[in-house]
Amino acid sequence: MPWYYVLPAIVFLLTFTFFPVGLTIYLAFTDYAGIRNGQLNVSTTTDVVAVDGTRVTIADAANLNCADLRNGCTDVRAEVYSFELLLVDALAYEDGVLTLAAPLPRGREARETELFLPDLGFAFSTEIAEIDGERVVLTRAPPFPPQLEGVAFQMADGVARTIVRDDGAVLELNEPLPEGFEATAIARYNDYGFIGWRNFRTILVAAERSLVPVFVWNITFAVATILINTVAGVFLAVLLNNPDLKFRNLYRTLLIIPWALPNIITIQVWRGFLNENFGAINRVLMLFDVTPEPINWLGTVGAAKAAILIVNLWLGLPFMMTAVLGALSAIPRELYEAAKIDGATPLQSFWGVTAPLLRTAMIPITLTGFAFNFNNFNLIFLLTDGGPPIAGGTATARGTDILISWAYNEAFRSQGGFAYGLGSAISILIFVITVAVSLVNFRVTGALKEVRNT
Amino acid sequence: MKRPDPRAWLWMALVLLGTFGGAWALLANLPAETVRDRFIVVPNGWAYVFGAFFLAIAGIAVSAYFYGRATRPGKAGAYALTAGTHLFIWGVIVATFYPVVYLLSVSFNRNDTLAGALPREGDLFVRAGVFPNPADVSTIQYQKVLEQTNILGYQWGLVAVLLVAMVAIVAVRGVARWWHVPAHRVDAWTRTLGWAIFLSAAILVVSITPEQFYGVNAAGERTPASSEKAIVLYIRNTLLVSGTTGLFAVLIATTAGYAFARMKFEGRYGTLLSFVFVQMFPGFMALVAIYWLMVQLDLLNTFTGLILAYSGGAIAFSAWIFKGYLESVSPALEESAMVDGATRWGAFYRIILPVSIPMLLFIFLLQFIGTYSEFILANTLLQGQENWTVGMGLRNFTTGRFDTQWGALAASAVLGSIPILLIFYSFQDALTSQTTAGGVKG
Repeated sequence: MPWYYVLPAIVFLLTFTFFPVGLTIYLAFTDYAGIRNGQLNVSTTTDVVAVDGTRVTIADAANLNCADLRNGCTDVRAEVYSFELLLVDALAYEDGVLTLAAPLPRGREARETELFLPDLGFAFSTEIAEIDGERVVLTRAPPFPPQLEGVAFQMADGVARTIVRDDGAVLELNEPLPEGFEATAIARYNDYGFIGWRNFRTILVAAERSLVPVFVWNITFAVATILINTVAGVFLAVLLNNPDLKFRNLYRTLLIIPWALPNIITIQVWRGFLNENFGAINRVLMLFDVTPEPINWLGTVGAAKAAILIVNLWLGLPFMMTAVLGALSAIPRELYEAAKIDGATPLQSFWGVTAPLLRTAMIPITLTGFAFNFNNFNLIFLLTDGGPPIAGGTATARGTDILISWAYNEAFRSQGGFAYGLGSAISILIFVITVAVSLVNFRVTGALKEVRNT
Repeated sequence: MKRPDPRAWLWMALVLLGTFGGAWALLANLPAETVRDRFIVVPNGWAYVFGAFFLAIAGIAVSAYFYGRATRPGKAGAYALTAGTHLFIWGVIVATFYPVVYLLSVSFNRNDTLAGALPREGDLFVRAGVFPNPADVSTIQYQKVLEQTNILGYQWGLVAVLLVAMVAIVAVRGVARWWHVPAHRVDAWTRTLGWAIFLSAAILVVSITPEQFYGVNAAGERTPASSEKAIVLYIRNTLLVSGTTGLFAVLIATTAGYAFARMKFEGRYGTLLSFVFVQMFPGFMALVAIYWLMVQLDLLNTFTGLILAYSGGAIAFSAWIFKGYLESVSPALEESAMVDGATRWGAFYRIILPVSIPMLLFIFLLQFIGTYSEFILANTLLQGQENWTVGMGLRNFTTGRFDTQWGALAASAVLGSIPILLIFYSFQDALTSQTTAGGVKG
């Protein structure tokens, strides 16, 4: 039995690839999140003063709910988005009305606010229904810790109880605590559970503001960048494929440099080059009077998208050039000689000989490139960070966010409220699309056939 | 065949004179620069520069044509095309290298800020801030990012071995080219020196610890290194993670690739299919689940956790590539060994492994380079500053007030790029040709 040759590999694959994939599917149907992370919320710990049958008296009733966050429900930091990010201090929140420390600057059309609760370490986005000076009316109330009625809790020995009545300092349980169990303290347990299709419904309800624009830009970006890189790569490779060209190997070696540098570094350096006021790119463009005024590369959506395509051309051209050169080297020289003897111009021999023969080789290259760029998190996250925010968008799906960075924002950043479940739901959408692209790629390259035959 | 035309020499000279005179006249008559929005602007400068560039292309192409007429008339058109091609490619090279050269010169510049006033002296490019002022050349940025790095005595020894071995490899190969040394001796030297480089680098990476990064305050007490001055630690962390992931993947994937290539067994098709699919998907798609898993295993913020998170994709990819390679190796050798009484494992261990070493090195390098540039999993799973990777360390510069740390960022970026740059150009042919082939084949 040769299984032991394969077994170690399979064990790791099962544990760290297939299991997470399955888990992602499960988590997509839960409300697993930063505030519901399956951990004890230590900051809500309060002492138990007395236990009398089902009645548990706690020292600090308020400690378990909103009224006694470190500074009460006041001192919430709010980020108000209009066309740019403003940081405004909010003084208090009550009954759906947020009171700001100062009115918003004139002419700001705030569309969305984000409440950040430092004590809970989570944020919450909602729409703004109305602004009246310092008063900001929200469309829905932020999920401050709930009152405890109906909350089940678990004790150290694993026995579960439910709070049937929350009477301030006195909690009424459904049954008495077990004999000999000495309750000393109580804390909120941030439980999470199965919520069915709710995450997907959330995505669909807000689709117009997040899913649709993000998806459209994701596809546009992947197609456009492959198109641009392919055209440029083919052009350069055809020039370099000329056997009479001296120094062609030197040129190849020189032009390959962006590939030889780690993109995790170069992308971040490009961020500096694209700085509006001091970046090298704007200085060059201004020096030669290419643009009448400096371009706000990272601050306006159109320019940020252009910047992404430009930087990805710089990053991806060496690979494309090398790939096309590899494909070109498979075309027999005699064909060109024959074309020349027939009196073809270089342009004619390109369209008559090179292009048709190149096409079959280019399909897998472009498909692989598409699949790679479709999920090119590094580029988007490190260059524009998904920004800038757009009017009418959400805090997690901004001007240049692609699906994977949107999922990341939902799951791992305060704007998204660490909504792991929602992030997983978006990941599943990405899975489906990537599988589709890969299947097409497999069909074209015959990789599956290769698996079956050998 | 047309006859060479001596008059073409005259035409060539005329065209050259005309175009270069024209280009020079264009550039010499640039409009005076003005200041707009704190930028130096040469009004319509693009028209002059493009004009001069295309004039030069046209001029060189036309004079090459006449050169051809004067020497080999049939080739005149080809000459013109070739000359134009060269000039165009040089244009692309300048555009490609501008960011690289600019970054290098910023890292060797005294000014740490992008926002400083533009110099009034120097040539146009310097005054416009298109290049850093050469008058401010300095190594202060490197000193700054390295000042809290405390390398121990024996580690300096390892660094010395590393550098000497690198120089020696270049020297050996250079000498061999001049003196016709037999190839096998050059290879033997290269292999020995390569091992010296690998081992000294590996020991260096393992032996450097976060405790070696500290500053000393006025009272003579040690203070923890500040986050922008620990780039060496971040490089070390990244090398450690990438190296271990690469070694691990090769170790686990070798036997699997061998089994897929040489054996028929139940479930082979299904397993292979799953390998193909896994290596197509970036591991970070199951990011949340991996995060959850690492929380449960108590491996959050550890290199072990990160390496395990990388392992699935790395193993599938390596096994798939190795299987492809073995299928191109004739099974005759092993079969004859097995006829002579070797076991399956013996044949694998004694016959297949030795001949596969270059391929395994290649798989290791691919994995290593790929892992070096991974960001999202590292950023999610690693939290403490002492565990940051290069990408996270640099991001620390760009997410804060960027313009205040530009010089230090550039120096860190250069230092962080060196390992991959050296590896890439050392193995350029293998990495470029095989990557494309691998990408196409899946």
